[in-house]
Amino acid sequence: MQIESITLRDVLPDVFRAEPPSGSQVWLTQITFRRGQNYLVEAASGTGKSSLCSYLYGWRTDYQGEITFNSTNIRKLSVSDWVDIRRRHLAYLPQEMAIFPELTALENIQIKNRLTNCCTEAQIMDMLKLFDISNKANVPAAKLSIGQQQRVAIIRALCQPFDFILLDEPVSHLDADNNRIAADLILSHAQRQGAGVIATSVGNPLMLPTDTTRISL
Amino acid sequence: MIWRLLRKNISVAQIGGYALANLVGLCIIVCAVQFYRDASSALRGEDSTVPADFLVISKQVSMLNTLGLGNPSTSFTRDDIDNLEKQPWVKAVGEFTNANFGVAAAVEMDGRGMSTYLFLESIPDQFLDIIPDDWDFDPNNPNATVPIIISKDYLALYNFGFAASRGLPQFSEGLISRVPIALYLSGNGRRETFKAHIAGFSNRFNTIAVPYSFMEWANKRFSSQPDAEPSRLVVQLSDPGNPEIDKYMSANGYEAAGEGLDQGKAHYFLTLLTTIVSVIGGIICALALFILMLSITLLMQRNREKNRTLLLLGYSPGQIIGCYFRLVAIVNGVILGCAIACLFIAKGYWQKTLSEAGISSASPLAPILWATGIIAVVTAINYLTIRRHLK
Repeated sequence: MQIESITLRDVLPDVFRAEPPSGSQVWLTQITFRRGQNYLVEAASGTGKSSLCSYLYGWRTDYQGEITFNSTNIRKLSVSDWVDIRRRHLAYLPQEMAIFPELTALENIQIKNRLTNCCTEAQIMDMLKLFDISNKANVPAAKLSIGQQQRVAIIRALCQPFDFILLDEPVSHLDADNNRIAADLILSHAQRQGAGVIATSVGNPLMLPTDTTRISL
Repeated sequence: MIWRLLRKNISVAQIGGYALANLVGLCIIVCAVQFYRDASSALRGEDSTVPADFLVISKQVSMLNTLGLGNPSTSFTRDDIDNLEKQPWVKAVGEFTNANFGVAAAVEMDGRGMSTYLFLESIPDQFLDIIPDDWDFDPNNPNATVPIIISKDYLALYNFGFAASRGLPQFSEGLISRVPIALYLSGNGRRETFKAHIAGFSNRFNTIAVPYSFMEWANKRFSSQPDAEPSRLVVQLSDPGNPEIDKYMSANGYEAAGEGLDQGKAHYFLTLLTTIVSVIGGIICALALFILMLSITLLMQRNREKNRTLLLLGYSPGQIIGCYFRLVAIVNGVILGCAIACLFIAKGYWQKTLSEAGISSASPLAPILWATGIIAVVTAINYLTIRRHLK
């Protein structure tokens, strides 16, 4: 099932039920993300942007309202549906990166790639070179800096076909140069597949093109 | 790669402890089952192709019977026999037929004659442990001899008790069969002589038995009375180890003799012993299973984050369960292999002793199936535990 659009209707995280936020363009309203378009969700911390990503990725369900992929309520998707979605339709870079510290940088990428067979090892090495960390390929991730880990996590997220890519503060630990490299790499992968990009930010946004839809949470 | 990631938190000591404990439990069970099968085939006697157990029963003789106040009588009524036949442990009941006439026998040996009063009984052929070739009697043949089966004990009594003290010759079974015996039957106003010979020796019956065809004919010829009720019965048991047999006997005032009851008791104790030992083995296995369940629980707890991250990356729950399950399956497979090896080693030890005693060993298929079944159940429980933790 190719995901053409993601729609949120009257969605509100359970934790906000006591004090519903006002003026949000996401919570308690209707919003649709379309394939092929770029979105930047900007918010102060504590407004539920990681929650949003977790809901869209099927990782958490502690919300009221309805989220649909095309017209399917995602609460009705089965475990095997989600396994397929996470391998072929929805790429995700969580804020905490979910890197295995005992595996090397390359292994952390390959553990995803061997599920999808999306990239060759040469392509992965090219991306590591682009981020200037190809010399760290065989270093355990525990010995990498947070910024280096973030770059490894970005590459890992790109090692799969996707209709949408969810990036939760993807460049929070990167400098401007690496931010630009990350944005170029992500956009080239997304455009090649006609996919949508949904990135969040609390102040250091991914450098997306000017036609990006900006949404405040 | 996932396996390299997940195995980090495996406790070799816990898995090893489980493997050892389960192996010990399983070995106890398989050895007990095998020993039970070997020993019970031995208890059924050498002739294990016909696993029959027989009991000869009679009523207890009381003072009243001695004084001739024959009530209650020591013979079995039709009701007694019908009731006995209804018992679940009874396969068949046979009646001893008594001779209702006077019997005396004479033997001529070494120039010295020896004669004695005797009694004769007959037993349905199906209950006899030996049936001699000439086990029949034709009254129309003037040269017919009466074949007689006596208890092996009688020959032993004669050879080692009587003959030894009186300076008489001892006889082998073969030789005594050739000694001609004269039978004097009297009754109903007649007195006739028959030729007879010892045709065989019985381990099962403590009696002097003649073919039923002879007994039927002789009772008609030498007795005017109707056939008396039998005072002894032979019972073929379907379940010799059944403790109900003893209860039934004492409840009805019956006495049992024959090869059945002692073997039955031995069989009963063997079953009891095997059950106790197997239960102990089972308890050890169950405790081992708990160790493994705890170990799996601990491993799954420690690997919680890793499992979650793998799911986040798009790994299916099945792939992750498979990783842990392979470990459990390999460990259990090794345990099963070791237990079967242990069975053959242990069997080798006692088989030597048994075969020296002329007892053949039972097939090891049953204990192997038991062990495989137990391991299959343990593995299935492990699988469910792993799956429950990944939910």
